[in-house]
This record gives sequence, structure tokens and C-alpha cells, in this order.
Amino acid sequence: MALMPKRVKYRKSQRGRIRGEATRGNTVSFGDFGLQCLQPGYVRAQTIEACRVAAMQYIRGDGKLYIRIFPHKPCTARPLETRMGKGKGEPDHWVAVVKKGTVMFEVAGLPQDAARECFARVAYKLPIKVRLVGRRPGE
Amino acid sequence: MSHEGNLVVERRTKLGSLHSRKLRKAGIIPANVYGHHEPTASVSVSEEILTPLIHSGTRVVNLEFEGKTSKALVREVQWDTLGQKIRHVDLMRVDPNEKLTLEVHVELKGTAPGVLAGGVLDHEMRSLTVECLAIAIPDSIIIKVGHLEIGGVIHVRDVEAPPDTKILNHPELVVVQVKKHVEEDLLLAPAEGGELPEIVGRKVKEEAAEETPAKK
Repeated sequence: MALMPKRVKYRKSQRGRIRGEATRGNTVSFGDFGLQCLQPGYVRAQTIEACRVAAMQYIRGDGKLYIRIFPHKPCTARPLETRMGKGKGEPDHWVAVVKKGTVMFEVAGLPQDAARECFARVAYKLPIKVRLVGRRPGE
Repeated sequence: MSHEGNLVVERRTKLGSLHSRKLRKAGIIPANVYGHHEPTASVSVSEEILTPLIHSGTRVVNLEFEGKTSKALVREVQWDTLGQKIRHVDLMRVDPNEKLTLEVHVELKGTAPGVLAGGVLDHEMRSLTVECLAIAIPDSIIIKVGHLEIGGVIHVRDVEAPPDTKILNHPELVVVQVKKHVEEDLLLAPAEGGELPEIVGRKVKEEAAEETPAKK
């Protein structure tokens, strides 16, 4: 089952704009290496689940995966072959809003080569450009 | 012991974010020098000199400022969003024989037999708070994990502190352990159609609407 909030205040949300860069969640905090996004975008709950499966199939108990994004935002869609109008569509899926610099996934217990290979598989699933990052000096 | 580097800094006369941005474009990093009951000074330092020093793990630098040389601790480094460029540095004046409290990186050595047996190494504390002399800051605290079986734990009390260094963390805290691997379900569960999260306040409103008769 893909990720989804347990309780929400409103069923639908406006689209909004993704402005600026990530000032929080932009460092590797839990693992040894992370996957940092280089452009803003939406990541669907199903995509996060697909990334988790891809990463876990590679890690296979040798390390630990941390998912640092959560799909808080509902996205609506109109049914197929319906005319415009009649109000906003019904909630269809959930997305995580990511800003440039957000560290989305982290792994612990893997050497750098393995982490790179693991995140290469994850990157195929993602709709945004990403890169591998390590811990900053002194952290 | 951590490496020492030389850092030549110049006083910054033009302050503020606009001038700092201009400095960064010119390859100069804004910094502040403070401590030891002397007035705080806004300074600038060359990016070419500072960046390799930070990447090499230097903690204490020989600071050359307005003709005087003193020792300073690199207290805080600010990075850009992607963590590639240094934006600002805080330098704290220190006495060589002064005792400091700071974080020191924990380095694990060896391969735990528990990991080879299918366990997962959980490195919970990546740095420890230590008290040491400014001239004797350890590069890292080395912990040998060559004996850890599955379920094996190393607490702070088990860590051997480097000479002239005192570890200040709570002795019962876990630094590293080997946990038993728990199999995760890799397969995607089919999404249940029409399932929506609970909406905060919805139930209360609906009940209230049922109790109050509709106005005619």
C-alpha cells in the first residue's frame, strides 16, 4: 500500500508553486549516503513505493534504507471523457512536494559503490534529476 | 590529533547580505571571529584556502588577523543548499591550553562477525561530545567492532577515550549495535480503491447537522 496521511484537515488542496531551495532536510542525517534532488517537483506515493521496492531488492538485508519524504499533498483528477466545469475533481493520488536540495532517500551500511548502484536503480523511477551525496565534512 | 592550518583573514567593512553575496561571487567567504572577551570582528577569507582546510577536517587554525597571530576553532560552517560550497564560517578564538567542548566524529574499524552472519550494523551515534585541550583535539574516536555478534552493543561507557580527552555523553547511550535483520515485504500490496484518510472535524460537523433540524 502506497503512503498516505492518516488524517487530513481538508480533502483537496490548491496546487501552489514550488519556490526556493530546501533549507531543511538537505543533509544526510541518518545513513551514510543519500539521494538528493537537483530540481523541484512532485513525487507520487506510488513512485516512492516503487523506489523503496527497487532499493530493498538491491540492499537485501545488507543495509538500511531511510525514506525522508512523505506524500502529504492530495492531487485531484477529473474522470475520463467528462466535460469541463462542474467543480474541482475528486482526490486521485498523493504527492510529496520536493524542493531542490531535498535528500529523499538515505542508505546506511553499504559501501559507496553499492550505494551508487542502489540509487541508480532508484533514480530510474523518479521524475526528477538526482545525485548521490555523502555526509558533509565534520558531520 | 587534528591538523592545523594557517588562515589569513581581512576585516570586512561592508556588511550585509548584498555585500556578502558580492564577496562570494568574487571567491571570498564571509566569516566572523569572536571569543575571549574581545570584540566580534566581521572578516573575509579566501575560498581557495578555506575549502581544502575544511575538507581535510581541520578544527583549529592559526589565524592571522591585523598583524596578530592567534589560534581559532572552526566553530560552525554554513553550506549552500546542495552542500557543495561554503557560505559562511564562524571562528572562535581559543587559548591553546584551554579546555573545549565539541563534537568528535566516531569511526568504526573492522568487520563485525554479526554482519557476516546476516545482521545489520546500526551506527546510532556518529559523533560524541568530548572535552579536550584546544591543541589536542582528536581527529576521530575509533571504535573496534571486530567482536560484535548479532545483538552485540557498544555503549558510550565502553568507548575508550583518546588521551587527555573526556567523553561527556550519557554512559548508557548506544553508539553502535548489530541488529537481527528483519525481512521486509518487498511486494507491492494492491491499492484499496476509494480509501481516503479521515478528515479532521468532519464527524463532529455531521453529527451537529443531524441534531439540528433544517431551517424552513
